[in-house]
Amino acid sequence: MSRVTPAIQVENLKYAYGRADAVHDLNLTVQPGRCYGLFGRNGAGKTTTMKCLLNLLRPRSGMVRVFGLDPSKQEVAVKQRLAYVPDQVAFYPWMSIRETLDYLASFRTNWNRRIEADLIERFRLDPSVRADSLSKGQRTQLALIAAICPETDLLILDEPTSGLDPIVRREFIETVIGAYQDGNPGNRTILVSTHLISEFEGLIDEFTIVDHGRNVLTLDADLARESYKKIRVRFADTPPEVDLREALQVRREGRELEVIANGGSAELQHRLQETRPESLTVESLTLEEIFVATVKSREAQ
Amino acid sequence: MGLHINFKSGKPVYLQIVDQIKSLSASGALRAGEALPSIRPLAEELRLNRNTVAKAYTELESLGVIETLPGKGCFLKASQSPLRKEVRRNLLIEEIDQAIVAAHHLQVSDREFFDIIQERMNALESKRKEFA
Repeated sequence: MSRVTPAIQVENLKYAYGRADAVHDLNLTVQPGRCYGLFGRNGAGKTTTMKCLLNLLRPRSGMVRVFGLDPSKQEVAVKQRLAYVPDQVAFYPWMSIRETLDYLASFRTNWNRRIEADLIERFRLDPSVRADSLSKGQRTQLALIAAICPETDLLILDEPTSGLDPIVRREFIETVIGAYQDGNPGNRTILVSTHLISEFEGLIDEFTIVDHGRNVLTLDADLARESYKKIRVRFADTPPEVDLREALQVRREGRELEVIANGGSAELQHRLQETRPESLTVESLTLEEIFVATVKSREAQ
Repeated sequence: MGLHINFKSGKPVYLQIVDQIKSLSASGALRAGEALPSIRPLAEELRLNRNTVAKAYTELESLGVIETLPGKGCFLKASQSPLRKEVRRNLLIEEIDQAIVAAHHLQVSDREFFDIIQERMNALESKRKEFA
């Protein structure tokens, strides 16, 4: 592992807007070929981190590397190797779709015209239409085409599907899987920040939860779902006193008890079983539920 | 192909694909020689990481469930496991042990457990007849 240069490496990143700390000692390592999720509430520092990778912001301190390169010193080399879809997509309003794509292609050493034609058709876009008359969904589609055609090793997506309708969101994700990932299997890296975690759940290999500019949790997605459990117990009467020390979260409602645990859930389950409940079910948490439970249990502290 | 991924099962996603294709094969819904969707369209349809689907197919291939014919795609093989009988038995025992533990936690009695096995075997048998 250590011989492979990470696609993204962030160490002790600090950034502040004026006096307000936006990112505080953030660490992040994304291995090539992985799809990495960056989860956090609004203002958690996700966009700031991404902008530091793109040299749109200069870190106060810490280290940022993209394929081993320093974005602030080797900006052109870094930008050749990545594509970015920001949360707010903007184009020159007077340019048509055709002109916009030609203009963006002129900055790239590689531009796949076949993929461009396929995606224009798939999204049912009219190349002669001006950028200022595109809907939000169409602007995102145009940004996605512009991000995929250069066939870069790294794709950075910042809240790419928020505010889009379900059909456009579905097509967006399918395009990332098909047109982008499948273009060079095993070597295409994705960093995605999103609120709509459930939509990207199947794509994400690994994730980091960021809260108030710090990383709170980094886990492999399959391992996370394996270890975070929700145990739901119903008793014949009022729930008895049970030692719930492993629980991250406990919810009581009448005769029911709902416990969320990470690891130690087997012991917890065993102890609950001993109290002879009417029913007991166990299910894993989805990534979104893990995110909510993690952030909420921090806020409760 | 009607695969369904359940993120609340706690089972790694690629294994869910492996197990579902195995059971489609066991029920006869997929027959020997039939083509499986290729990786890209299946990944797009299920909105799964392309590499997860590829990993499932690699696993199915090493288990001898499917075979890849270059330039043609993936096909279901006749159900002849390349593993020795003893190994196959042990693999099954692991699965049964897990089910027994689950039954205990779910307060399913031994009698009920046997009944469920019988019932599921009957259900699979009637599915097989349906596809035959």
